[in-house]
Amino acid sequence: MREPRGRIRCVLTSLALCAAIGLAPVRAAAAGLKITPLAAGLTYENLSRTVVWKGDADSAKILANLISARADLGFGKGIVVSLSAGLALTDFKRLSFASLPVSLQYDAPPLAGFSLGVEALAPLLKFSDFEISGTGRFVCSFGMSKTWPIEGFVVEGKAAGSTSWAEAALGPRLSYLFFGRVVPYVEVCARWLAAGFEMTETLGDLVGNETKRVRGDFSFSAALGADVAVSDRIAVKARVGIVPFAGGTDSLLSVGILYKF
Amino acid sequence: MTTPSRRSARAAAALLIVLCAGLGMSHEGLPRQMKRVAPARVRPARAFRAEGPAARRLRPIYAADRVLVRFRPEISEAYADGLLRSYGFPIVHRIGAIGVYSVKTAAGASVAETLAMLRRNGDIQVARPDYRARLADIPNDPYFQNYQYSLRNRGGILNVSPDIQPQMTSGADIKATTAWDVTLGDPETVIAIVDTGVDMTHPDLSGKIVSAGHDFANNDDDATDDVWHGTHVAGIAAADTNNGVGTAGVARNCRILPVKVTDANGDGFYSWIIDGIIWATDHGASVINISLGGSVPDPFLEDACKYAHDKGVVVVAAAGNDGIASVTFPAAYDAYVLAVTASDYNDAIAQFSSFGPEVDVAAPGVWILGPAPQWYVGEGGLPYLFASGTSMASPHVAGLAALIKSAKPGLAVDDIMKLIRYSADDVNKTTLPGRDDHAGYGRINMTRALAPFILK
Repeated sequence: MREPRGRIRCVLTSLALCAAIGLAPVRAAAAGLKITPLAAGLTYENLSRTVVWKGDADSAKILANLISARADLGFGKGIVVSLSAGLALTDFKRLSFASLPVSLQYDAPPLAGFSLGVEALAPLLKFSDFEISGTGRFVCSFGMSKTWPIEGFVVEGKAAGSTSWAEAALGPRLSYLFFGRVVPYVEVCARWLAAGFEMTETLGDLVGNETKRVRGDFSFSAALGADVAVSDRIAVKARVGIVPFAGGTDSLLSVGILYKF
Repeated sequence: MTTPSRRSARAAAALLIVLCAGLGMSHEGLPRQMKRVAPARVRPARAFRAEGPAARRLRPIYAADRVLVRFRPEISEAYADGLLRSYGFPIVHRIGAIGVYSVKTAAGASVAETLAMLRRNGDIQVARPDYRARLADIPNDPYFQNYQYSLRNRGGILNVSPDIQPQMTSGADIKATTAWDVTLGDPETVIAIVDTGVDMTHPDLSGKIVSAGHDFANNDDDATDDVWHGTHVAGIAAADTNNGVGTAGVARNCRILPVKVTDANGDGFYSWIIDGIIWATDHGASVINISLGGSVPDPFLEDACKYAHDKGVVVVAAAGNDGIASVTFPAAYDAYVLAVTASDYNDAIAQFSSFGPEVDVAAPGVWILGPAPQWYVGEGGLPYLFASGTSMASPHVAGLAALIKSAKPGLAVDDIMKLIRYSADDVNKTTLPGRDDHAGYGRINMTRALAPFILK
């Protein structure tokens, strides 16, 4: 079963962002702005978030691995917008569905789905060898669904789950430009996460449905990263960060290799 | 757990740091068999540590990010360490005295996946989940260990009396102890005992009584038991548990509403039962247990059961003790009532159980120990007795229904009834596979009904 509203909203948001970027050259041309395809490549991302699903007392973890194709577009004045699309593997550790007739506890392999993302970076201020930029990012994963048999009961049973999630991040980035080909940076972001997991259980003629949600879970992250120009054409981008919360720390990691046009 | 605002505040602080650093009673009115507990066979209370009843909530039964591993004896420690680290486990802790490793699973890997991966390695002897331990789940009620096989049957001899000592089969029980890991019941969940009344001064019941109830035989507000049957039934369903006294009840924390619908001889009329069902429904009962019945169908009795059912009350009744193909009423009102037959200490269906298509489930009902009024057992006797009948089976199911209501208050009555049916153990599947008229769907299994199913 899907979460129609959440999923549609996520897809529409991504499509709107893609359309906006796609239409941007036309508008930009009319406005006299020049849009340049800068680079394209592949990125890998790993992120973990500890959340409390609505109605639960215990926390649970969302662990996601994303592999995406990525394109960077330049909008002049140093503004770069990146679009990405790919596959996501998401694990929902310690998630339980306690309101179903037969309670379910998730200990299954990660669910595979699709991901769409958009990221923007805009320089705001430059002084000496430092530059402060504003950065924003939105990524969503959808299309994850699976059916499991429920065994051991007198009648046949199954559980069907579907899930989607989306994360947005916004914050400043402080880059050090001294090294030229290597640009290290520190980034601090406010992060927002929404997720939904709908589980439908069927046991003979006994049917139950439970939807778990995380609506707008806020946290902050701190990350260290570097953009490295390996050659005139090849660039590597890497970032590693933490998302602290009371009682622990989540992590994020991303690595990308891009071919510059 | 953290709320978003608290979490954000703490995260911001952390960020700064980071940046800077049947009346079994057939209608003749007598139980099939009964036996008092002989004082000579009473065991002293065991020296359990008595913890207060803890609020329980649904929790995973094992750690979600950790497994335990033991290598074959010939594998050296250095090799084992290296092998585990080669798997990429972030944290490995060795419990040297017994050669066991506690291993934190790799990010993104479930326990099931990790165990499957480890078990494929020939050097590993055993790989298991790190199961959650239980705190004082075995109640300290002195008769629980040796007499209450219905809740936890460890095999051996059931010492009813010198001449009645049946051999029991381990596991022929309703799996109560592991189900209590999930819930002990909510005191707000009330089980109405529509019966001969309840001895409200009994040490195993006095703390569980909601009110003095109502006596429809004498039309007053004092449902004191003047037989013994209702006291026994109430104790099976929800005796005060972990109190160091007597027996344990199925619904450990749920409470009892006594409703008396028989006279001093144990005889009652349908009108009293009808009144009792409706009164219990209107006075806060979540579950109604009716361990009595008659052989004649009656539309008014059915209407009373429908009234309770439609008000969200689970009605459970004894199938009858006549051993014939005719389930008594109201148990036979299939749409509104769970009909319960009796099984024994070997999971065999008791021969005295009435049977028919209305039977839903079975529960232990042979030589069941429960409380009895002191006046009934006599001065100096222990206020407990063994009794047999579908009357004793029914309150086991009522207790389970109360626990489900406690754990899942949003579940509809019909769904609770289905869950109790479908989670049963098909104990007579070798002769009658699937649902049958003798055991119904089978002997109830509390753990299957209440514990989470693991999706792998």
